[in-house]
Amino acid sequence: MTQAIEKTLEIAGIGIIGVFIFMVIFYLLIRALDKFLPYKEEVSTEGNSVDVETEDDTQN
Amino acid sequence: MGLEQLMPAIALMTWQDLVMIAIGLILIYLAIAKNYEPTLLLPIGFGAILVNIPFSSAITQIDPATGQAMEGVLNTFFNAGIVTEIFPLLIFVAIGAMIDFSPLFRNPSLLLFGAAAQFGIFMTMIFASLLGYDLREAASIGIIGAADGPTSIVVASRFAPNLLGPISVAAYSYMALVPIIQPPVIRLLTTKKERLIRMSTAGSYNKKISKKALIAFPIVVTIVAGIIAPSSLALIGFLMFGNLIRECGVLNKLSLAAQNELASLVTLLLGITIASTMTSDRFIRVDTLIIIALGLFAFIFDTFGGVIFAKFMNLFRKEGNKINPMIGACGISAFPMSARVIHQMGQKEDPFNYLLMPAVSANVGGQIGSVVAGGIILTLVPLFA
Repeated sequence: MTQAIEKTLEIAGIGIIGVFIFMVIFYLLIRALDKFLPYKEEVSTEGNSVDVETEDDTQN
Repeated sequence: MGLEQLMPAIALMTWQDLVMIAIGLILIYLAIAKNYEPTLLLPIGFGAILVNIPFSSAITQIDPATGQAMEGVLNTFFNAGIVTEIFPLLIFVAIGAMIDFSPLFRNPSLLLFGAAAQFGIFMTMIFASLLGYDLREAASIGIIGAADGPTSIVVASRFAPNLLGPISVAAYSYMALVPIIQPPVIRLLTTKKERLIRMSTAGSYNKKISKKALIAFPIVVTIVAGIIAPSSLALIGFLMFGNLIRECGVLNKLSLAAQNELASLVTLLLGITIASTMTSDRFIRVDTLIIIALGLFAFIFDTFGGVIFAKFMNLFRKEGNKINPMIGACGISAFPMSARVIHQMGQKEDPFNYLLMPAVSANVGGQIGSVVAGGIILTLVPLFA
């Protein structure tokens, strides 16, 4: 096996694992953002509900 | 006075030039008649005609009288827009402004398919290397599997500018051919029973997502990606910048401009500029055929990676909570083509099976995955080359 192919195999191995690591991190980020910045109900000053954002109890 | 003086273009036209003009016409035909990625294939096709007429002033020519180079406008565009990576990065801003990440918030686990379906990139890299391409060229050929034109252009223009033409044509052509490439591969890898699996679309898919979370997402992703792999920041950062413009809510005009005018103009320039590399002496080579074949190989192995990963995940999931393995194939970046294809395949198997929402989630994951894979390749290859 030539050195070039060995290097390519190494990059391919690190690369695919790297992409998975990134995606797992992004997955955790999404879960964290969803937890700390949940959907909330926004109420206008007149008391009318506008463009409703609610704490979503039905999340699953 | 001979023909050579009267009409030098005809006198000096070679069969290779004629083949390239025919290729240009085929690309224009596919764009118009078949609607295959017309925004890119039409300018590329027209550009291929422009640059293959001998003495075309659209590309750099040597003045026979003075021996000086007279720079053609397409070479000027190439140096200004592709060598500097400005065109593909502006496209990323436009794509970012078009992406809605809320499907991912509704089902974040499907993000992982955006990683699995990058498998074709790395398999193709290995095959290209086995065929004798050096590391930089193999990486550039492998990135066709990102199913993401701008990422392919950024990587190829940095590592193998000599192969940019065939790589771009392969990347955009196969993206358009997803409805033809993916279904047979999926059928080969799945049983009918698996293709009939229904995924619950109630509940999580009706979930509303906080605007603050959607605004914070592109910022946090940019910071995290930048800390882990600074070399990937140009790709991921511009994509996320476009998305921030979309989600911030105070730049609606800019968001619309990025999605429409910016995307259209830069795509036009990108396509015709890429064509400047499609001169017959560079394109009519065995390499081009090999690259086109490897591109197909990359798309097949992307689909393979996604589907097999879904089947692997199902080993750990309870009955009733299984993933339809076809969803794995949506982890490629071709959005929304791949999601639509899988949804239609699901409906063909069972007209009451609605796979569109999970398919879109996985497909959005694929858009992130392809950019991440491009960033990782840009980081790793210089370390090993």
